[in-house]
Amino acid sequence: MASKEEFRKYETGEPIVTVRNLSKSFGSLRVLKDLNCDIKAGETTVFLGPSGTGKSVFIKHIVGLLKPDEGELEVMGRNVPTLGERELYELRKHLGLAFQLGALFDSLNVYDNVSFPLSHHTRMRQKEIKSRVAEVLELVGLPGTENKLTTELSTGQQKRVGLARALALNPTIVLFDEPTTGLDPILCTTIDELILKLKTELGKTFIVISHDIEGTWNMADQVGVLYQGTLLRYGRNADVRRDDNIFLKQFFGRTEDGPMIGV
Amino acid sequence: MVRFVEFIGALFGKVLSEVGAIGLFVIKTLSVGISTFPNLKRFGEECYNIGIQSLFVVCSVGAFIGMSTALVGYATLKDLGAQNLVGIFIGIASIRELGPAVAAFMVAAKAGSGMAAHIATMRVKEQIDAMEVQAVNPFWYLIVPRFLAIMVVLPVLVVWNDFFMLGTGYMIAVFQLKINSGAVMENLLSTVAMADIWKGMIKGWVLALFIVSICTFKGFTCEPGALGVGKATNQAVVYCIAILIIINFFLSQWLYGGIGLRGM
Repeated sequence: MASKEEFRKYETGEPIVTVRNLSKSFGSLRVLKDLNCDIKAGETTVFLGPSGTGKSVFIKHIVGLLKPDEGELEVMGRNVPTLGERELYELRKHLGLAFQLGALFDSLNVYDNVSFPLSHHTRMRQKEIKSRVAEVLELVGLPGTENKLTTELSTGQQKRVGLARALALNPTIVLFDEPTTGLDPILCTTIDELILKLKTELGKTFIVISHDIEGTWNMADQVGVLYQGTLLRYGRNADVRRDDNIFLKQFFGRTEDGPMIGV
Repeated sequence: MVRFVEFIGALFGKVLSEVGAIGLFVIKTLSVGISTFPNLKRFGEECYNIGIQSLFVVCSVGAFIGMSTALVGYATLKDLGAQNLVGIFIGIASIRELGPAVAAFMVAAKAGSGMAAHIATMRVKEQIDAMEVQAVNPFWYLIVPRFLAIMVVLPVLVVWNDFFMLGTGYMIAVFQLKINSGAVMENLLSTVAMADIWKGMIKGWVLALFIVSICTFKGFTCEPGALGVGKATNQAVVYCIAILIIINFFLSQWLYGGIGLRGM
């Protein structure tokens, strides 16, 4: 059985997530329509698109929080929609998701939040957990905040603690759901630079959901543009940036003139 | 008329589907509870949350109900010229009926609403999704410890509440109604059997199962937004109180109904 097999190491450029004809509807609303793409290991892939086009729904499929109506989604060799509960939990130990609003446990302090996956999935001693928590908090630029309550943190800090928690288990794939939404321009740049720094330092696979165009050009190796549930374009950063597609030109040009309608 | 029948049919269907969903939720909780070793730290926290935090409210309400029981019992028995038997009235009413029911209602109102609101807030703030993504089963972390804790704590609270009700009832009977303290005590002791205390604990245990099932289910399946949290909490308490009254009747029927029939 796939679940009993070890999770193998993926070489840079090798497809680590493959999506085939993925579709999802909520009632009569079709949110994802026949999505197809290969996400490569060791690269940063950014999915761009206006609000309400199914970006967050897509990321929730990758981590198995939602099941597609049709299609296949393979993550690290596991077909996610067909996995049982235990197999899915095994896979998730190799994935880290930083939620849009942090999704920190507000009854716990920063230390307890970041150490949460470590204390549940590793046999690390308290001292080792402490040192790992300090390490990831340092990585996201929040050293010494262990004893703070999450309610004492700003939105940007909460997002960064969420990212630290996602990184704690040293996952193979790190996913970000709109890391810069609702932040001021300086913090947006800080977060973008943080993702770039992490990619350089950790060499992991990053999947980012965003509608920040400038940030995307800075950090992405691959770019996918989602609009009304369809993947309009998926390819290398420079190719997508130069694409003549009328929808893309409108979106990248940040103009109302064009076929794209805001949701 | 047709619309009325349609309305009743739809309502009945909705109730049935809700009962089915709660049943599946409980089965899922039991399967997780049986297949995994419980989280003892969370169990301890929940025992504290439910027990210690509900203790004051349960006992204070119980104390006043114990006093009222003595007054009502005295007034009723006085008409029959048997006011000295008020101890029997206090004993039977407190241990067999009011002790378990009051403790359950208060725990539903205090701890049950807290459970529903906490879990619902975690649901709308994506904290339950975050737990799932971190490969920690939310049933194991959030639901099972609450099930175990309330089923341990509520029977204990029932006994505690029994003693508060008996104590305050005794004081009213002796100090306000001036009934001989020896007579009150003798009547209390002769009425209250150990079996009644056990039956009260059984009632507490069964009612606890309904409280925790409804409140955690409502929180876990909460609709989005602040409105969803409010609705989940409100429904949890209202459903709990209504169901507790019905279940309490069937429990009394099961535990004491036979005695009534034999006495006829």
